[in-house]
Amino acid sequence: MLKKNALAVALVATAALTLSSCAGDTADSGSSPVSDVSAGTDEKAATVLDRPFEKPDLVLTDTHGKKYDLRERTKGKPTLVYFGYTNCPDVCPLTMSNIAIAYKKLPQADRDKLQVVFVTTDPERDTPEALGKWLKGAGDPSFTGLTGDFPAIQAGARRMGIGIDPPKKEKDGSVVSMHGAQVIAFSPKTDAGYVLYSDDTTADDYIEDLPELVEGKNP
Amino acid sequence: MNRRTILATAAALTAGLVLAGCSTGSGSGGPALKVEGAFMPEPVTDDMAAGFLTVKNDSGTADRLTSVTSDIAGEVTIHRTTGQKMREAESFDVPADGELNLERGGNHLMFMELRKKPEQGDTVSVELHFEKAGPIRAELPVKETTHNPDKQ
Repeated sequence: MLKKNALAVALVATAALTLSSCAGDTADSGSSPVSDVSAGTDEKAATVLDRPFEKPDLVLTDTHGKKYDLRERTKGKPTLVYFGYTNCPDVCPLTMSNIAIAYKKLPQADRDKLQVVFVTTDPERDTPEALGKWLKGAGDPSFTGLTGDFPAIQAGARRMGIGIDPPKKEKDGSVVSMHGAQVIAFSPKTDAGYVLYSDDTTADDYIEDLPELVEGKNP
Repeated sequence: MNRRTILATAAALTAGLVLAGCSTGSGSGGPALKVEGAFMPEPVTDDMAAGFLTVKNDSGTADRLTSVTSDIAGEVTIHRTTGQKMREAESFDVPADGELNLERGGNHLMFMELRKKPEQGDTVSVELHFEKAGPIRAELPVKETTHNPDKQ
């Protein structure tokens, strides 16, 4: 009996060691406990700006093909703005999906207030229809998608501290576009852009912060 | 079952676990490579998808990931991310006694011309081609769109 137990234990231990040798290898590739701590909950995802950005006077076209005046439509409302493009396989859908998860957790009254605006950096490919289709999958049908002339979009982004280059066609015919480095939150109290989120902000970070942003408070 | 059989069974099970845990290259004399932590975030449209994985190289010979193929996509390219831009790369280095990490926000596989939209719970098969090692098949479980192992 004792012998049998010992063997069973040995077997389980071997199995566990074998499994953990694989899992351990994966952990080495960037999710060691140390890096978890620095990227985790004890460090704030939000950067609150000492000098907030004035909301730019940006007039573009929404996913229904209608004129959309950013200042007029988002005046006095908490607003998140992100610059990206739909041919972006990783960071753009990740960012919008993280925001959408947090958005869906807000009470309806807060959801009615919060404006989430995705501005394309690749207007030639991102037609209103393409943007609308993508936003339904990547974000939420209530999010606003904007397209227009690249110089107007670039100028608007620059006034929010976001640098974007025009899409560039490579020799092989592929197009290299660029997404913005940060999501900007505008306050319902001042209409100024006062908080930044980098692209490694998680859904949980947004879940924590959106209720504050809706009130115009510092997260 | 005598003790020897039980031990043999244990050894066989262990071997099975090793195989299930990691896919190892059946390289013909090239460096011994293995793929770990592979996944695909569920794409948001049926136009394109991204894939992430780590290629471990436990040998003293450096190699290079040169191309990727998959049944589900007309085209798979390897993409290098620099700042907020990504462009197709010719190849990715797999350093000797090191690893190639394709991870969220960084370098990645890009699947185009999808034959069907992968859904969470599906598994996508890819074949990785290297300059020296033989091709490696890897299975990418499809996870939620926001899946990011570095953040969990």
